[in-house]
Amino acid sequence: MTQERSSQPRKSATVVFAWGERPIFQAGDRIRIGTRTPIGHYRVPTYLRGKQGVVVQVIAPAAVDNEEEGYGRNAGKRLHYYRVAIPLEEIWPDYVGSPRDGLYIEIYETWLERI
Amino acid sequence: MEPHDHGHEAGHGHDHPHDHAEIGQLAPPQFYDIMETAVRELLIEKKLIEPDEIRRQIEVLDSRTPALGARVVARAWLDPEFRARLLANGRAACEEFGISFYDDTQLIVLENTETVHNLIVCTLCSCYPRPVLGLPPDWYKLKPYRARAVIEPRAVLAEFGTIIPDDVEVRVSDSTAMVRYLVLPRRPEGTEDFTEDELAAIVTRDTMIGVVPATVAAGGIRQ
Amino acid sequence: MTSTENLVKRLPNDIGGLPAEPIQRVEHELEPWEKRCHALADVLDFHKIINTEEKRCGVEALGAEMVGKLSYYERWIVAFANILFRKQILAPEELARKMDEVRARWNGEAVVGN
Repeated sequence: MTQERSSQPRKSATVVFAWGERPIFQAGDRIRIGTRTPIGHYRVPTYLRGKQGVVVQVIAPAAVDNEEEGYGRNAGKRLHYYRVAIPLEEIWPDYVGSPRDGLYIEIYETWLERI
Repeated sequence: MEPHDHGHEAGHGHDHPHDHAEIGQLAPPQFYDIMETAVRELLIEKKLIEPDEIRRQIEVLDSRTPALGARVVARAWLDPEFRARLLANGRAACEEFGISFYDDTQLIVLENTETVHNLIVCTLCSCYPRPVLGLPPDWYKLKPYRARAVIEPRAVLAEFGTIIPDDVEVRVSDSTAMVRYLVLPRRPEGTEDFTEDELAAIVTRDTMIGVVPATVAAGGIRQ
Repeated sequence: MTSTENLVKRLPNDIGGLPAEPIQRVEHELEPWEKRCHALADVLDFHKIINTEEKRCGVEALGAEMVGKLSYYERWIVAFANILFRKQILAPEELARKMDEVRARWNGEAVVGN
């Protein structure tokens, strides 16, 4: 049986990304910051737990979780940080200022859930 | 605010076994000073660090002052393409200027506009764009600023004499990870014929933290 | 729910939004030892002997009283000592003896010079 040679690969070359290699959120995604209470080192301030906001920028490249880095992890599994914007009115019930005033912060991927 | 005169020489390396009395320093070192010396000497004895590294890093730190950030801002005010590169990638644009980043931090430059005013803080510690601004002032690292900047930024700004109109959005950036921030203040009116040096002279540290706007009056070299 | 939970749940440095006084625009030029301490922190981070996040964690671990009462660089150097002990890079006895030696040097040579 003869096969005609093709100038194109027979299968499309689909690249599969490793876990964590690509950010799971993009600018514009609405997110909620997690509410867990770590014992020991954390880098998500208490005042922001459970607050909702919007991703404004993906921080690249992926990096080590700084909460684990605090215990000596200098390398290993990397995920993305995301700069998120949260209206100050949403954080503080009695906020004095403009409804457009916002808090911007980098949050690690493991602390964010899509809403 | 003028720095205190402690009568000390600038820190110098201690690569010889005995500290010698520094000119003007008559008091023996205090507890934490002794601890620092002891930790450093032990690490050097164990060959984990070298005396030259500490000496060199002191020189690095001494070379990083707000004057570096001021030059970046002045250039951004004059050169729209540089400004665009600066806003796209703060660290790369500073490196273009010869301002190296000796650590793993990134820099996001936050542009103040007619409708947006930026302020930077680190509520959890003292993250600050040290490679381009030098070391932060004490007030930036103490509780009042860190606690209040994220809950009442307009009141904090007012304490610095800065009143932001209600139709201007205040954005407070709280540093917690590897990104550092530099505020790009608005170029004040009346500077249209300033040279780059004259522009840099009016860009003070506090304008790049975002607690005050750049003004022609403050710290300028013009009469 | 006991009141001590908050001591565990909220780190002493986690102060965003807490009530606080008016800002006093204090600043000071670093003491020589403080500058050396800062340089030491940077060098330790370059080598990953103590990375910057480990330093932060070490300062938090000092606990609320020390975080409240020690100055900025005092917290750093005590945190470094603790971390170096935990990593078995230094031993407590070793550091104590070296501190005595450093102190004795000064007492023996104060003012007179080299």
